[in-house]
Amino acid sequence: MELLAASVSTAESDGGPYTLVELTGEADVTNCEALREVLDAQVSRAPRTLVIDMERLRFMDSSALHVILQATRALDRQGGVLALARPTETVARMLHLTATDQLIPVYPTVREAVAG
Amino acid sequence: MLYERSLTYTTDLSAVRTLVREQARHAGLTRAQAIDLELAVSEVAANTVRHAAAQGHREGRLRVWRTADEIICEISDGGVITDALAGRRRPPPGALAGHGLWLVHQVCDQVEIASGTDGTTVRMRMALRRS
Repeated sequence: MELLAASVSTAESDGGPYTLVELTGEADVTNCEALREVLDAQVSRAPRTLVIDMERLRFMDSSALHVILQATRALDRQGGVLALARPTETVARMLHLTATDQLIPVYPTVREAVAG
Repeated sequence: MLYERSLTYTTDLSAVRTLVREQARHAGLTRAQAIDLELAVSEVAANTVRHAAAQGHREGRLRVWRTADEIICEISDGGVITDALAGRRRPPPGALAGHGLWLVHQVCDQVEIASGTDGTTVRMRMALRRS
């Protein structure tokens, strides 16, 4: 099994369509380029809202974090918003230690992340 | 030194993290400490992949041991750190580099970095808190 898996879906909410990227496993320097490809592909479709569901992402290192920060910036330039949902304990700790949770909105549920 | 476990790695950082989690549990670290130690050791091991490999040294080694008071994780590889202040400056918000060693310094009770032409050794210590 791959260390990191991603699945992408699009759905409608009251606020309009959104893209959901669900990450499973562990994201680190050895697979962050695969994560970059997944996020770049979605950012290039210019969604208004892109939510990363982190419920099954057990671990994330700073290399993977930087990929998410870059995607956030790219989406922001297009007028879109990237939000994070349901980070696990270890991932939430990484977001906090790097103050990323002050730059990217983090929500306890996907629903709240979609609502913004 | 009560006992020691070690592991040699090139790109399997998941195995590095697993060993750290196991040993953190055995040592009786709190859950929050164990999370911090796993994050720290993984960042240093990632530097083997990020930097040492580019300098021609693909292999790194993790050693974990403990004393009555602390657990010590040591990562050694053939890379060389030339920046004496590596990890000492807080990266600005949203920075796209510099978080690894900075984070290590934030979460560990003590960090020792020895780097020379024959490689780098980073020793991370976490105190065993008696409740």
